[in-house]
Amino acid sequence: MKRYLVPLLLAFLFVFEGLFAQLWPADWFNGDYIFVPRFLIIALLFLSIYGSMKHGIMYGFIFGLMFDMVYTEIIGIYLFMFPLAVYIFWNIMRLVDTNIIVVSVVSIICVALLESGVYLMNLLIHIANMDFSSFSKIRLIPTLILNFSFILLFAYPFKRQFEKFADSLRND
Amino acid sequence: MPQFFLNKRLIILLVSIIILVALIGFSLRDREELTWPEQFVKDTTGLVQSMVSRPAHYVAGFFESLKDLQNTYEENKELKKHLDDIARTEAKLYSLERENAELKEILEIEESLGDYEPMQATIISRSPDRLWHEMIIINKGKSHGVEKNMAVMTSRGLIGKVKSTTPFTSTVQLLSALDPTNRISAAVQGKEKPLYGTIEGYDKENEWLLLKGLPIDAKIKEGENVITSGLGGVFPADVPIGKVHEVVPDEFGLNQTAYVKPEADLYNIEHVMILTRGMTMPPESENNEEAEGENL
Repeated sequence: MKRYLVPLLLAFLFVFEGLFAQLWPADWFNGDYIFVPRFLIIALLFLSIYGSMKHGIMYGFIFGLMFDMVYTEIIGIYLFMFPLAVYIFWNIMRLVDTNIIVVSVVSIICVALLESGVYLMNLLIHIANMDFSSFSKIRLIPTLILNFSFILLFAYPFKRQFEKFADSLRND
Repeated sequence: MPQFFLNKRLIILLVSIIILVALIGFSLRDREELTWPEQFVKDTTGLVQSMVSRPAHYVAGFFESLKDLQNTYEENKELKKHLDDIARTEAKLYSLERENAELKEILEIEESLGDYEPMQATIISRSPDRLWHEMIIINKGKSHGVEKNMAVMTSRGLIGKVKSTTPFTSTVQLLSALDPTNRISAAVQGKEKPLYGTIEGYDKENEWLLLKGLPIDAKIKEGENVITSGLGGVFPADVPIGKVHEVVPDEFGLNQTAYVKPEADLYNIEHVMILTRGMTMPPESENNEEAEGENL
């Protein structure tokens, strides 16, 4: 049972992101700001550091591909960006101390990198036609605020859950 | 040894970039249909999404009704004022409709571009990657008769068109998408004759749609209605889109561009209607025969 808990949690977050986008009162502040939920990637980052890096990258591929198919219909962007974000995160974490505050701060930095990477790719394929300053005002900063509050709430439960997962892997 | 690892990493990166470019190129093509793995994944997640979204909507609906209760009194006063007008408009509409039917009978016109059959659908999810992909996923698909490029509206006006379908869900691209291929043929209901143009592009900062390609000498006033033209595709005519806010000459001075304020709320959408153009439907008799055949 414990073995399936992590993929189930990730799948729930995947569905929840779509639901969140739909139910979030988007006309706050006249709808000037866009809050993008990035809960899935946060869970993946925590999984890679507290669980196992291999599983983090693998689920990054699977859920990146699903995200592309279901939510954007352009296959490739998230398929590439999710594992890359996990890989960069893991490499930064090797250099610094892994207490929960540092992990939270570095993961919010990685969310910012992911957002900017997605923006750059969309700019390249002419889906986005916005300069970086308005992008950061409309989407990047509100998104970081939303996701940081999510991390504040869920950092500790995630840590415990993924450490249990790592234990069960080691016991096998 | 380290040299070898560095090379391996470099090769992985290069191969994945090549795959990435190939995949993006593949999905950016103007595809008629999604591939079957995509359809399968979308249908499966659609099933889960619709299971989750219904109870979530009840909870959200409860809180929304509480909020609504707060300003019921004010709203009621306002609505009563409108009610007087509605009775008058209704009477006028009734007589106009009858007159229209009579005139059509004289001219022997049976169908018009404005005929459409609405199909009700509920939203089960929305793309979280907003701003780049303004898309919603609804719970009606190919098996219910939804096709690509059909018009989708709420009770107030057009919100977008069907981007892709799977057997049990379909994806709707909203008017607010920045995607440059998101074009809709539209018309301004001018004083004398309709002026045709295409809706292309969205101004995020002001929340305006751009209606391009209007003739340079046309005199368009603020507040005039913009509707779908029904020219081309499977869009029915006369679906309200919005109202003209401002008109400016375009960059080359050959045409005019109108900024259009959309009528429908593109944020809080729950129920939508998919419009099937009445004119392209097969004749009634054929359907009946098929149905009878199945019964036998």
